[in-house]
Amino acid sequence: MPIYFDHNATTPLDPRVLEAMQPYLAGPYGNPSSLHRYGRAARDAVEAARAQVAALAGAQPGEVVWTSGGTESDNLALQGATEGQRPTRVLYGATEHPAVLETAEALRGHGWVVETIAIDGDGLVDWPAFEAQLARGPLRIAALMAANNETGVIHDVGRAAGLVRAAGLVRAAGGLLLCDAVQAAGKIPLDFAACGADLMSLSAHKLYGPKGVGALLRKAEVELAPLLHGGGQERGLRGGTENVAGIVGFGAAAELARTGLEARAAHCLALRERLAAGLHGLPGVTIFGERAPRLPNTLQFALKGWEGEALLMALDRKGIAVSSGSACSSGKGEPSHVLLGMGLPRDLAYGAIRVSLGQDNTAAEIDRFLVVLAELRMAAAA
Amino acid sequence: MIYLDYAATAPLDPNALKAMLPFLRTDSGFANPASAHGPGVQARNAVEAARAQVAALIGAEPNEIVWTSGATESNNLALKGAIEFRGLRSAHIVSARTEHKSVLDSCRHLETVGVRVTLLKPDADGLVSPEQVLEALRPDTTLVSLMWVNNEIGAVQEVQRLAPLLRERGVLFHVDAVQGVGKLPLDLRSTPIDLLSVSAHKLYGPKGIGALYVRRKPRARLAPQMHGGGHEWGMRSGTLPTHQAVGMGVACEVAAARLRVDAERLGGLRELMWQCLQVLPRIHRNGPAESGNTRRAPHVLNVSFEGVEGESLRAALPQLAVSSGSACSSATQEPSYVLRALGRDDELANASLRFSFGRGTTAEHVELAAQMVIRQVQRLRELSPLWTA
Amino acid sequence: MDSVIPSETNPFGYPETIWRLFQETPRAGGFPPDTEGVVTGEAGSHASRAVLRLQLRFDEKGRVADARFRAYGCPSTIAVGAWIAGWCLGKTAFTLSGLQSADLRQTLEISYDRAHCAMVGEDALRAALDRYSGEQKT
Repeated sequence: MPIYFDHNATTPLDPRVLEAMQPYLAGPYGNPSSLHRYGRAARDAVEAARAQVAALAGAQPGEVVWTSGGTESDNLALQGATEGQRPTRVLYGATEHPAVLETAEALRGHGWVVETIAIDGDGLVDWPAFEAQLARGPLRIAALMAANNETGVIHDVGRAAGLVRAAGLVRAAGGLLLCDAVQAAGKIPLDFAACGADLMSLSAHKLYGPKGVGALLRKAEVELAPLLHGGGQERGLRGGTENVAGIVGFGAAAELARTGLEARAAHCLALRERLAAGLHGLPGVTIFGERAPRLPNTLQFALKGWEGEALLMALDRKGIAVSSGSACSSGKGEPSHVLLGMGLPRDLAYGAIRVSLGQDNTAAEIDRFLVVLAELRMAAAA
Repeated sequence: MIYLDYAATAPLDPNALKAMLPFLRTDSGFANPASAHGPGVQARNAVEAARAQVAALIGAEPNEIVWTSGATESNNLALKGAIEFRGLRSAHIVSARTEHKSVLDSCRHLETVGVRVTLLKPDADGLVSPEQVLEALRPDTTLVSLMWVNNEIGAVQEVQRLAPLLRERGVLFHVDAVQGVGKLPLDLRSTPIDLLSVSAHKLYGPKGIGALYVRRKPRARLAPQMHGGGHEWGMRSGTLPTHQAVGMGVACEVAAARLRVDAERLGGLRELMWQCLQVLPRIHRNGPAESGNTRRAPHVLNVSFEGVEGESLRAALPQLAVSSGSACSSATQEPSYVLRALGRDDELANASLRFSFGRGTTAEHVELAAQMVIRQVQRLRELSPLWTA
Repeated sequence: MDSVIPSETNPFGYPETIWRLFQETPRAGGFPPDTEGVVTGEAGSHASRAVLRLQLRFDEKGRVADARFRAYGCPSTIAVGAWIAGWCLGKTAFTLSGLQSADLRQTLEISYDRAHCAMVGEDALRAALDRYSGEQKT
């Protein structure tokens, strides 16, 4: 059985989540838009899950819009907030996920001014620069992730929201803040009501839920144009027959994440500290974002003399699954845009390896990983 | 309860479920198919095998199948993606009034950015002839979008005859094939359709996944509608749900094996239902008059009942899971726009039932359902001060 | 899947009274022509998808001895007809004339967007009572 250290790419489904999904996978459950009894049973299940997902993120059920995953949520937020608007300015953090980055960049073609928010070498927002940037002109939407998928660095979303709001007051035309919380959800507490973000993206499969389902949280007063037209589901915001089993699974996973959050975080943090201590014992190791607050389960590092892809493959042969960056950009031969965004040199970025831990990892697996890493180092040196 | 609403959604095929479960379990196959490590490769192989199964059902190459979250997304990607790629703000689209909402709403959206749309009026049978489409073409026509099988009335459009005519004229052809794939044979090697939308849950696959066929030769080009990690050759980003893809793949394989047998059996049940209902005077079959399975989809029968009010008709049949209009429009409680496009008045459009049959339907179910309908239509008619026999 | 499973009652979630009256429709129908003491009131229109015909048979003392109804429309309209036909029994024209559509809405839990169903009930009863008072004068 391989050691799985890639929970930020995706998590296994919690067996209790599968149990909750089973009746909706196999059973005679209908299309939630149908009026008959099968349809209404599906509708009830979808609404119960909506409340569970809302509770995880400190949101109201009415603020939850179902999507096919984090990528669609980010697209719906950025495309939906800009479509039909007079083009002004869109900002996104230099270390955002490709779903935010690529969507924002595509807006250039529609006349928008698109700028990155500067991120420092620790992976944190350069606040004075951000404030000055906000003062330079009007803003439609800014995107800042709750926590980075590669380094695990946690952003102060509340502070960003405060600055965006203050800049809006000066200009009497407030910009919106999108918070991509795909990696943060289930790992650190989220409070959509209090953090000040207008939109928040979530994904089920990063928190032991099923793939193919996600949500966008939206404050009631935020106007969005739909991304998927047709059918009128999700109050016209997102057409398409609901993925009932997936949504039910997301709800169950959210419930487990909410009730088990502290225990999971403590478990992962203890393992990560064990890993960090071991890595510090090896020469030539750089841990990224180490001085910043980070997700308890994430550690990204580089080992001098190793290219990330090569180390990933070597570890894979030893039965250890890690990532060299985000899964989406794996195999593209490009260094992590996250590390480049933090201003780190290319050769160091090329060396990046991400370990992301989960609830089933053990101290023995950490120890095994450290042994294998030491062996690989020795072999390379020989 | 008798479930006669297979056109809204079909239950998951047991083989599809069996194939999906390993990818939902903790010990194997759960990795991200985009991950570079061994478990990721394992998941990716499963997704690619499923892609080949979907392709095989419609005579496509695996690399012509783009996964989506369902047919609504497929239709959105096809229409908006094709138009956006060509960058033609003044492009022209030809479609029909009886299309699915996801096509109509995408068209309406495109109109707001300057695209002009011609929505053809079908004849009283719900059919749009290829000649009618050709007449509507203009020099700036970029795309024709036509559904193969109508979801409400089961009318089968002549997309196979139309496709080469549009190819000759260099017009891109998109087909919403959600209700046709797995029910009627289709070979895209010999039918020059450029873009074709498929949904899993209408053919006994899981909800929340679909596909868009995008022809490689000659290449149909699309601008992505969902940006991100560059999955699906850059056409559709987002982590692929392995279990969903696997379920759809198996469902397509099962559908391919059963297609002819299923079609014949369901067509028989459809006619049995219509025969049973003949006890009632003044009922109307909505859809093509021509008999057989050439113009009528085997699994759909749509009937309007004179002299009864639609909501009461539905309420009087609580033991029958049928739909009036498509599931998507029944939530809004409006009379079916499809039936109105066929020229049915509001009352008949409202007092209609769509029976749709599937693998679980037996002749006994059909006869029992017909008895319920007959009894309740008679009761409501007798109750009405307006009814005169 | 097995396509036949046990069904629940009132799956569409209608108020209980409406659901019962819609299913059972007590006093549905009409009196034979030329029945002594019968007056008929009708209200609503085909176009508005609500038509109610109410027939009341008065006894010599001026009380409703029996009643019948026919209705075309949604379940609420049909239930209104059945409810009025039952409620009328034993009452005088004077008592009946006090019925308001608001009472019907309240008693049958008819939602505000279905208020027209209750109005059709009030109108049909009023039409029957007008006919009755007209006949009393001649």
